[in-house]
Amino acid sequence: MHPMRHPRNAIIVGLVFVVVAAIYWAIPYFGGWHLDYAGVTMLAVLGIAGALMAYVLIAGSPSD
Amino acid sequence: MATTALTPAASTYRSGLYEWLTTTDHKKIGILYVVNSFIFFFLGGILALLVRSELAQPGIQFLTDEHVYNQIFTMHGTVMIFMFIIPMLVGFGNYVLPLQIGAPDMAFPRINALSFWMLPLGGILLFLGFVTGGAASAGWTSYSPLAQDRPLSSPGAGQDLWIMGLTLIGTSSILGGINFLVTIFKMRAPGMTLFRMPILVWTILVTSILQVMATPVLTSALIMLFIDRNYGGHFFDPASGGSAILWQNVFWFYSHPAVYIMVLPAMGMISEILPVFSRKPLFGYKAFIFATAGIGALGFSVWAHHMFTTGQVFLPFFSLMTFLIAVPTGVKMFNWVFTLWRGKLTLSTPLLFALGFLSMFLIGGINGAFSAAVPVDFALQDTYWVVAHLHYVLFGGSVFGVFAGVYYWFPKMTGRMLNESLGKIQFAMIFIGFNMTFFPMHQLGLAGMPRRIADYASNVGWNDLNLLATVGGFLIGASMIPFLWNVFLSLRSGAIAGDDPWEANTLEWATSSPPPPYNFDHLPEIRSERPLFDLRHGKARPAATMPDPGPAPQITH
Amino acid sequence: MTANPHALAATEEHTPVAGLAHDQRGGISNPILGMILFICSEVMFFSGLFAAYFSVRASAPAWPPIVQSDPALTEHFNLHAEPWFALILTVILVVSSFTCQFGVWAIRRGDRAGFIRNIAVTLVLGITFLIGQMYDYATLGFGLSDTMFGTTFYTLTGFHGAHVFGGAIMLSVVLYRGLAGQFSAQHHDAVEATSLYWHFVDVVWIALFSTLYIL
Repeated sequence: MHPMRHPRNAIIVGLVFVVVAAIYWAIPYFGGWHLDYAGVTMLAVLGIAGALMAYVLIAGSPSD
Repeated sequence: MATTALTPAASTYRSGLYEWLTTTDHKKIGILYVVNSFIFFFLGGILALLVRSELAQPGIQFLTDEHVYNQIFTMHGTVMIFMFIIPMLVGFGNYVLPLQIGAPDMAFPRINALSFWMLPLGGILLFLGFVTGGAASAGWTSYSPLAQDRPLSSPGAGQDLWIMGLTLIGTSSILGGINFLVTIFKMRAPGMTLFRMPILVWTILVTSILQVMATPVLTSALIMLFIDRNYGGHFFDPASGGSAILWQNVFWFYSHPAVYIMVLPAMGMISEILPVFSRKPLFGYKAFIFATAGIGALGFSVWAHHMFTTGQVFLPFFSLMTFLIAVPTGVKMFNWVFTLWRGKLTLSTPLLFALGFLSMFLIGGINGAFSAAVPVDFALQDTYWVVAHLHYVLFGGSVFGVFAGVYYWFPKMTGRMLNESLGKIQFAMIFIGFNMTFFPMHQLGLAGMPRRIADYASNVGWNDLNLLATVGGFLIGASMIPFLWNVFLSLRSGAIAGDDPWEANTLEWATSSPPPPYNFDHLPEIRSERPLFDLRHGKARPAATMPDPGPAPQITH
Repeated sequence: MTANPHALAATEEHTPVAGLAHDQRGGISNPILGMILFICSEVMFFSGLFAAYFSVRASAPAWPPIVQSDPALTEHFNLHAEPWFALILTVILVVSSFTCQFGVWAIRRGDRAGFIRNIAVTLVLGITFLIGQMYDYATLGFGLSDTMFGTTFYTLTGFHGAHVFGGAIMLSVVLYRGLAGQFSAQHHDAVEATSLYWHFVDVVWIALFSTLYIL
């Protein structure tokens, strides 16, 4: 199966946002600047929900 | 090409008004969305003309109560975004998408109808403010603490009605997005793989993901505001441990992806129209898809560029992400331009509006790129520069895209062609009027004119440009006259369109105009994203046999 | 498998969604896909509320807040001291998720009696949770307008409770339809969809409980 058809790889789309959330948390945290917890939370949850959505859309599609 | 094999009585047991009120047919629902959206477009336009009338000259002319001015621009923004542009694009999607993927309807037709009917109700709630003491007047962005202040936020129940109306409209949006996603992933005709879908379907796919993921965040913000206003909550009240910036963060986390919801389907429509009227395939189909996906994804990481001046934003991150988003957008610009390049152009009205989109959206993108630079934004935040930017992308972009779509798909929806001469007159008027209204606002912003003011001093040099903008505004209003006249005439006696008046590429043109109730009798073979083109040039066969009635359709419980 | 054309096509997928109802072309059933997407949107709704909570908590000088003028209130804010009731509610909800899943497995293999039994138990547990939550509210000692602590606590748990209530309604409808014989091994999309929603409600509670009582 083409890698883009594999449901497990679709999760990467969501995990990208978790990574972005981690960067968005880490840089101000270690740099000593103001940390936007609201943004970190929303980005991280977006990643989780996005991964679930991507997975179920690809895995649930008909295989033809 | 498509002769309906259904018995004529199949759809006529309900007729007239009752049919329209109770329909679950995506085509009728699409038309309902479009008509409803146009009604609110005109209402929002009247509100805009009231603003422009007041601002044409210094001094307060007729809006002697400035609270009324605040209500007017608040409602203008709210109505245009939530009651016009987003539902209009959803309406076109509703009509065209199932046809383009060869499906008989949307995945959840009754939820589709529900999603529509929530809209007029939401709109009524929004406008009810005007008759209950005062509509919402804290701007469409509804920042705290103004949004919580009685009576400043709205003299009457308007702000609360605004919250309730938007919650309802947001729910409609979420349900619609879910419907589109299930339809796209589950109901494509056999042979239509994801990378053979028309571009409009792809843009609606990304838009629907944005709708499903971002709109609930707005709902949570609205609910928090409602709790603050009515139940003694402290979310946005710094004195009790809350934060006004929290509102901005949660609000813009939705509202930035919202601007992509407002423009991506219009980009999809342009991407259908340009190839047809250049007689060339879209340049860079896959690049376009990845660029659209990139915009959708990046769109979630730029929200705080609306908040640069708050002092609580990680500036380099958001500035970088905002500049980055110009890259996939630029890719798409190149895709469109190279589609036109060396094409055999037919300067029909849809193409004119598409060219208008390209040029105006380009200007909007460029002035947006200026704003992405933090120091520039520090100077231009909350000035008319931003008003210019947002109208160039939303009006010059999305609205021109909508009109392109209207002229392109009107024949399919009604079976009649719109008159080309009237269409070109409308285009000329609206193009000139639009630029006359909004181009001066760049200068006004640079000269320091703030947004959302009802009046300005007469000796700061803003008078002439404001007057010019008002004249342009009325020209835009006037351009609606040839448009409406065109629609009226064409519905009564326009040229019969036939199945495929434009010699187009996608499946909706493979059936009658308007299509029969379940859209297709049989579908041609699907070998690429241009099934009709392939059929015409012998690269695909028409349906080899009548579709096998086969096992019973999926019964859902 | 018989040649029954209405039967669900056997699927060769080895993904976790393979257990969920499929249609003839091998994809997931539409209503179940719709429910999962809806759950994604609900997750994002809670993300906004959690975002508010974390943001406010991070910028508060003390958490729980210390109210100088009202030491009793400050005492009531200390949820860590008395997490037991909330723990019981958590156990109730988690058990109800198990019974819900047992019900789904039962109807998948055609065991109508087992399905009815398990869904009924799930519904009872869900209602018990709601009653318990209301009792908890009555005895907490602080209200929605008592500083941001009260506001965020009641908003988060209140909207969770509203979702439990919605889930209870869905379970009731499923129970009623089950008793009326409307479900079979081949056709029970509503049961699957409802159980997915119920698991989501449970997961949100675990996140809430951990955040509010433990962190």
